[in-house]
Amino acid sequence: MSLRWMFTGFSKKTNQIIRFVVLAILLQFPVFVNADTIHDRKGDKLLYTFLPDYYKFQYAGGIGFVSAGIGYGFFNERIDISYFYGYVPQWFSKNDLHSVSLQLTGKPIKLNPNDKTEFYPLNIGIFLHHTFGSEYYIILPDHYPEDYYWWAPGRTGGLFIEGQLKYKLNTTGKMFSELGLYYRIVTRGIYLTSKFSNASIPLEDIFSLGLGIVIYK
Amino acid sequence: MKRYRLISLIILVLQFAACDELFEYSPYVINFDEYETDLNQKNIDRLLSGNVPDTITIALTGDSHRFYDESEELVRTLNNHYDIDFVIHTGDIADYGIPRQYQWGNDIFSKLKVPYFVVVGNHDLVSNGNDSYLEMFGDYNFTFIYGQYKFIFINTNSREYEFNGKIPDISWIEKEVIPSDDFEKALIVFHTPPFSGDFHPELEEPFVEALTRHNNVLFATHGHLHSYKFSYPYGNDLPFVNTAGPENAQFVLIKIFNHEFTVDVHGF
Repeated sequence: MSLRWMFTGFSKKTNQIIRFVVLAILLQFPVFVNADTIHDRKGDKLLYTFLPDYYKFQYAGGIGFVSAGIGYGFFNERIDISYFYGYVPQWFSKNDLHSVSLQLTGKPIKLNPNDKTEFYPLNIGIFLHHTFGSEYYIILPDHYPEDYYWWAPGRTGGLFIEGQLKYKLNTTGKMFSELGLYYRIVTRGIYLTSKFSNASIPLEDIFSLGLGIVIYK
Repeated sequence: MKRYRLISLIILVLQFAACDELFEYSPYVINFDEYETDLNQKNIDRLLSGNVPDTITIALTGDSHRFYDESEELVRTLNNHYDIDFVIHTGDIADYGIPRQYQWGNDIFSKLKVPYFVVVGNHDLVSNGNDSYLEMFGDYNFTFIYGQYKFIFINTNSREYEFNGKIPDISWIEKEVIPSDDFEKALIVFHTPPFSGDFHPELEEPFVEALTRHNNVLFATHGHLHSYKFSYPYGNDLPFVNTAGPENAQFVLIKIFNHEFTVDVHGF
């Protein structure tokens, strides 16, 4: 997955194509691989290795009314790297909004209440968020002098803390072995810098909540 | 293990309690409450519902950006110590142009006891700020007549429109300053002054020409330069007042009486 997505502005047509590709990737993975035959064929085995470790579906959390993500776990699943596509329908705003975000989550605390359950009470994450559209530019357009605006509306970022429950499912196949539920508290750089040195801004105004499910491969 | 669970539960509950508007879909979602919409027109209606005093007193501020605490202090000062008819904000109420900052700005300035009017600034137009302004304050160019005076607010942020030649709207301002029985003097309010590099260079002359043509503009006031200045950049017929912003702990007090005016800068 190319990181260029996060760092370049796109035309409307390109946006459409990117949205289509992202959706296509998200949708095809679970269908594409037949769980029963995964370990029988070399090609499928390779494919299985590169399959995302999980699929996430999230409500709110600042990256879409709904968003869908894929990602991998590293270091014994203590670090997650996820990529989300999010959508806000026009119903909720003046215009509909399409966006992508790249997220890095650290999961330092892991508890095992029982054999089937894992509990991560305090995950910590950072994310980058790009909203599509020429008004959400990442590189300052040519009609501005250099450094005219110091921030880029197309590259906002933020922090979150998260709690997650993970259940082992009783599946016989190799796919969809576990299911996770999480909530997260999110804030963003543009809110933190607004709050900075301003006691008059209520602290609760810079935080919001997201809820999500994770399906593990 | 039990202790861990208890601690986790406490963390969880505290986190939930910390949220006001619980779920956010995007920092660019524009979803203002009714009391946060069409504010300039609502304030015009409120102002015109009262009697016009012999001497009109106006406080000028602008470029409030992220100086929220300072803006709050300004509002407190004006409410408690000054007898004014209304407040003019010369733009840049939302530093990043995001909806949340529009709301924070209005949360503070709506605490004024008197009506306040906001002209659009360049920062207010960043990202989808143009839509937020239209939603919260209304049209970019608007006017009202108070007593014998016509207050004309105009969008002059040419750079935000890639110097497309349409901002400021010269034909609109030409039309609005034409003398009529409804008013004696006009006062012009905008954010970016015509001598700024952010103003369309080819429109500077026609703009100034429009303001001086009928010799009926009392003064022009603007923001963008972040410090108080009273000057005559285009000759003796057209005084300019650059407003002081909350960041300077200052505001400008204008008194208008009998087609004349006085300007004073006040600290707070």
